[in-house]
Amino acid sequence: MSTLKLDLENYKELLQEYIKTQDEQALYQAEQFSKQSMQQNISPEEIINVHIQSLQELYPEMPDYIQASMNFLLETMISYGLAYQEHQSLREKQLELKSEISVAANMQKTLLSTVKPDVEEVDIGALSVPAKQMNGDYHHFVQDGKGSLGIAVADVIGKGVPAALCMSMIKYSMDSYPEMRMDPSVILGSLNRVVERNVDASMFITMFYGLYNSNTHTFSYSSAGHEPGFYYYSDRDEFEEIDVPGLVLGVSPETSYTQYQKKVEKGDMIILLTDGVTECRQGDRFIEQEEILHVIKQYSHLPAQETVENVYKHFERLQDFHLRDDFTLIILKRNV
Amino acid sequence: MDFQSCVNIKKEWDIVGARQLGRDIARKIGFGTVDQARIATAISELARNIYLYAGTGKVCFEALEDMNQKGIRILAIDSGPGIKELSQVMEDGFSTSGGLGAGLPGVKRLMDDFDITSEEGKGTEITVIKWLR
Amino acid sequence: MNLTIDVTNKENVAYVVLSGEVDAFTAPKLKDALLPLTKEEGQTVEVDLHNVNYMDSTGLGVFISALKSTKEYNTELKLVQMQERVYRLFKITGLTEIMNIDSTVQGGMQ
Repeated sequence: MSTLKLDLENYKELLQEYIKTQDEQALYQAEQFSKQSMQQNISPEEIINVHIQSLQELYPEMPDYIQASMNFLLETMISYGLAYQEHQSLREKQLELKSEISVAANMQKTLLSTVKPDVEEVDIGALSVPAKQMNGDYHHFVQDGKGSLGIAVADVIGKGVPAALCMSMIKYSMDSYPEMRMDPSVILGSLNRVVERNVDASMFITMFYGLYNSNTHTFSYSSAGHEPGFYYYSDRDEFEEIDVPGLVLGVSPETSYTQYQKKVEKGDMIILLTDGVTECRQGDRFIEQEEILHVIKQYSHLPAQETVENVYKHFERLQDFHLRDDFTLIILKRNV
Repeated sequence: MDFQSCVNIKKEWDIVGARQLGRDIARKIGFGTVDQARIATAISELARNIYLYAGTGKVCFEALEDMNQKGIRILAIDSGPGIKELSQVMEDGFSTSGGLGAGLPGVKRLMDDFDITSEEGKGTEITVIKWLR
Repeated sequence: MNLTIDVTNKENVAYVVLSGEVDAFTAPKLKDALLPLTKEEGQTVEVDLHNVNYMDSTGLGVFISALKSTKEYNTELKLVQMQERVYRLFKITGLTEIMNIDSTVQGGMQ
């Protein structure tokens, strides 16, 4: 209360000064006064009231119609004042939500973290960048200690918090599978039942699951409606789409998945991705498949991790550093 | 509670009547211009809620005076459909999203004390108090 | 980008003509329009997509929940006149195998 009184004195002096001199200095101080008032949560009608009181003190003979018009203005500003206060309180709530989400995003990072395995025979590069705070893409590596390496790449419908919640469920189910049962078709079939039972009708997940056997250099894989990756044949310097049929997870409980196999030769590459890569847009234009392959090719002489990072940087710049969708890219290259 | 002055709310015009009576009482109690304007705005919101959602009801006023302080108590009562989710209508951004004005959180801000009871199918009763400082 | 939804009924068929983009912003609107139609027993819902130039996974989700609803209420869902880009999405996700999708696709792709 006392600060407001003090401000009234201050305001009165400022007003008087301005009426006398019409000076810019007084106007500048008026601006400071209004900022200060906002900091102290003083609403507009209170400022008008201070104005009326100042006028009354400066001009005791003020005509009635001026007085009435000022009261009219004061009444008019009440609702603005309320809207302002509501705005302030919503802003606080928004900050609260923001900090909650960043805590959740950190939890998700810990929960979904996967360690890129160090395998002598295969050079692995992996990168996943969320468009918003929380990632709806997911990738995971598992090793069985006998030369087999499992790789999962998944994408949940939508983005943000709901997608992240759903991903956590997938991760939890995958963790509960025994290591010896890593057959891609079996894993997808079992995840499909989990997803179908536990998510909303309009929710679904796409997943590619691959198993690299570094003793025999064979790659077995199945896909549940996931964005096709690419296979690079080193001997003929050619890319081929890994286009395999399979229904997305969570639509029909009886779905079974076919498993495919490929012999991997030295220098060959397996490229796995999510639609955040293939649906990159430059302005209104979607980039073409050839463009993605061209960029991958351009950096493929580098170690796999550097390749994926350079490819990401390329498309990040192409989209003006603003990702529309979560971006995940994994490259496996046979070394020896 | 003994309320001497009430205004029945049936049509939009009655909102103006309620504001007028409430303001007169507030002025007699000794409220200044700003608080009169706030009290009138709160009455508007309460009366408009009755008019829009309940159809009919009334707004009553009572001057309060005890040893330490003076004030005005306003009661808005209707036998409309009632409010199912009280915590929802008391949330900022809920009613205003439909462009209906300050809503109940606004009324709460304008006044010092705020109390609401509502039963689905039976009606709503809102009591607010503004103290004279 | 907007999505306009135009529904006409003829006997036991509800013709739904969409035009625009089906994405996270417009999907809720489509869901509200489409789902009730799949719950009227004996009805076939035919969705014309020839003016839909973009659909994302959220849009796909709406059609999946509509499909599930047709199974529950014994109705039919049919998608016709898809553009190539949109058709690719249904193909990749395996939905072309379980949905009734008219094979004449705009853009010359089968």
